Amino acid sequence: MKILGLSCFYHDSAAALVIDGVPVAAVQEERLSRRKNDAAFPIEAVEYCLDLAGLEPEELDAVVFYERPMLKFERVLTTALRAFPASWRSFPHAMKNMLGEKAWVRGVITSRLGVPGYRILFTEHHQSHAAAAFLTAPTERAAILTADGVGEWATLTVGTGTRGAAGTSIAIDREIRFPHSLGMLYSTFTAYLGFAVNEGEYKVMGLASYGKPTMADAVRKLIARTADGAFRLDLDYFDFHTTSKRSFSEKFVQLFGPPRNRYEPIDLATDEGRRFADCAASVQAVLEDILVDLTRDLHERTRLPDLCLGGGVALNGVANARILRESGFERIFVPPAPGDAGCALGAALYADRIHFGNPDKDFPDHPFWGPEPDYAALPRIAAEDRFPHEALTDEALIEETADDLAAGRIVGWIQGRTEFGPRALGNRSLLAAPHDAAMRDRLNRDIKYREEFRPFAPVCPVEEAERFFELPPGGARLARFMSGVFPVRPEWRERLAAITHVDGTARLQTLERGFAPRLYDLIQAYGRRSGVPVLLNTSFNLAGEPIVCTAQEGYSTFRRSGVDLLIVGNTRVRKRPKSAQRETHEEEELV
Amino acid sequence: MSAWLNPIQRWVWSDPVRRGYRLLRFAEVEADGGRDLARAAELTPDPKLRRLYLRHAADEQRHSDMFRRRGSALLRESAKRGEGWQPDWLAPGERGLDDVEVEEGRDAPLLAFLHLSEAAAARSFAVYHKAVAADAETRDVFARILKDENFHMSYTRHELGRVAPRKQGWLLWKARLGRLWKGYLRFAVALAGLMGGILLTLQYFILLPVFALGAKRAAKREPEGWAPARDKRDLKGQY
Repeated sequence: MKILGLSCFYHDSAAALVIDGVPVAAVQEERLSRRKNDAAFPIEAVEYCLDLAGLEPEELDAVVFYERPMLKFERVLTTALRAFPASWRSFPHAMKNMLGEKAWVRGVITSRLGVPGYRILFTEHHQSHAAAAFLTAPTERAAILTADGVGEWATLTVGTGTRGAAGTSIAIDREIRFPHSLGMLYSTFTAYLGFAVNEGEYKVMGLASYGKPTMADAVRKLIARTADGAFRLDLDYFDFHTTSKRSFSEKFVQLFGPPRNRYEPIDLATDEGRRFADCAASVQAVLEDILVDLTRDLHERTRLPDLCLGGGVALNGVANARILRESGFERIFVPPAPGDAGCALGAALYADRIHFGNPDKDFPDHPFWGPEPDYAALPRIAAEDRFPHEALTDEALIEETADDLAAGRIVGWIQGRTEFGPRALGNRSLLAAPHDAAMRDRLNRDIKYREEFRPFAPVCPVEEAERFFELPPGGARLARFMSGVFPVRPEWRERLAAITHVDGTARLQTLERGFAPRLYDLIQAYGRRSGVPVLLNTSFNLAGEPIVCTAQEGYSTFRRSGVDLLIVGNTRVRKRPKSAQRETHEEEELV
Repeated sequence: MSAWLNPIQRWVWSDPVRRGYRLLRFAEVEADGGRDLARAAELTPDPKLRRLYLRHAADEQRHSDMFRRRGSALLRESAKRGEGWQPDWLAPGERGLDDVEVEEGRDAPLLAFLHLSEAAAARSFAVYHKAVAADAETRDVFARILKDENFHMSYTRHELGRVAPRKQGWLLWKARLGRLWKGYLRFAVALAGLMGGILLTLQYFILLPVFALGAKRAAKREPEGWAPARDKRDLKGQY
């Protein structure tokens, strides 16, 4: 059976193809269109998936959209009605927004792909999240919690999943509904702190480590716990339901002070900068407290050892690690794409296993479902641009790259198929030595062009991780897709300064050899030189750009930044000496 | 840009805070333009164009940094806070590469488009350069950027001649018409948006009050906290 899953029109659109119960391809549209967080209909992603499988759209048995558009429309309309007359400014915007493409998804899919309407199915948004979390995890029975800003009505759901020879089921028991939303609470603070919503939440988490949760009580005024253990937002502090311009109200500003101007950098040496850091720390602490409470309750009710987390909130690695330590669950599974992009895969899997009742199949435990680079492109381009390049044997590639890393060089690393999800997990990475804080500053300044308070992540062989990081039971699994933040052991913090955040933690990725063999060998080779088999691993992109996908994009990023060498497959390209670069520029001046 | 706009430009650029925010917005536009050019470099099969696009992209990034640094400095130096009134509609700022569509194998139309965009940007920057006469540092930023714009104008024109020697005149006209069409579309979309907004606002106040009353009553009856999840096994419906 051939099933295509789609998510689009809000943020991070994606397509995923499942054939006979096993994924064949999954990719976010932004990786192909090169527009960050591209929300458009994922036509390039669909073309990639179908081309890879050699299929025409009419050969698909079903196309599954990741949410129910009319139910979402009902929520948007009802929200406007409930807020009447305060919603008069947001109503025209909301209606124009919904009545464009979003309400006519069946027609859009039919016209874009030529698939007959009866083959188009719709899962609910949180069903898709739940399926993406549970059906991709190596477990047969697990509790499930999904949380994000909002889907149709649900903002947080809990339930259980069962799979095996007897069949597959995902039973979502209960949910918390809009406008009461952990995701909206966090996004409101993201906007208040001057970061882009749906993109800057990482920054809030990074900034939180610099502050103290001195305003946690104030945050709790915004989100009260209900008698049954859920929560409700006090809407007097929010404006997301009445206007599209701003998500926090004047009352919010009275409570927390003036919002940050997005153009003004956060200076942590000033009172204002510290206030923003304290704000971030406070909302982070409250979010964690509520999530721990909800998952502890879920564990008590289900008595299951495994928990699958889905939805954008599951990208919060600090909260995930606390849930692992405090909820009672022994293992937590977060998929590599827990956000809306992952819903494309979740929707396809849900239709396959539950709607069509196909037998359960093990899911390959890796994120590499995107395009493979054209390995011949880099030597050709490098030769055309007279950049020194060479094809190396596997052994030379590993050993010489380890030498380069040990010499303090930054390596652009492209191998195999690109990752599905927001994180570079070893196939589209920038790699560097993890020891020196100056390396972190260089990466922030010369390559990533981003705020200095944002940390970099380490990657370490799974069998060595305990030596450098304090992992609770189940921590190594949570770190497989970089989904948890754990303390660096105090005795290693100085030697791992580039990846140790200000609070002594790191967002670790644990690596098995089978997951990314070349990267694994490289880390071990680096370990033989430095005594520390750990590398700094950050996504291969510049600020405002999606992670690179092709060799050409890797080369362009390499040329435009301070990356010292680029490796695509077995080909290595180095930066030329400055004098040679000047010569070429002079030649180009003569156009 | 018409000479009669110069006094308006001088007024718009006179306030240091407004000047600062304007430069910061220019920084974003330049960075966006740099990304478009990097994309063009990734897609072109022509090695010389790739090198030139990459250099152009680096220039745009450098301009973005210069604008950002100067804009931030102006805001730091000023005691005033907040963006205040930003009359962009009165004196539209930089439009950068104007939603350029970068596609594989379409270098000639892209070069024509870039040439015209760079020429327009150079004209604008020349006006801004005059308008900030009293601010030597900002003036210097514009002067340095203007020099680059001249190089960008000349390489795009030269390369257009190389890539499409017989069609260059037609491509330039087509690009001019394309820019006009985009301007018209911007205007039409804004007008349609305004009209749609007015109609929907009227409907909101005329048709919705009764339903709003019902919705508010229903909301009051809704229990707090957890709600049972819907039974939603049928995937055929959109509702």
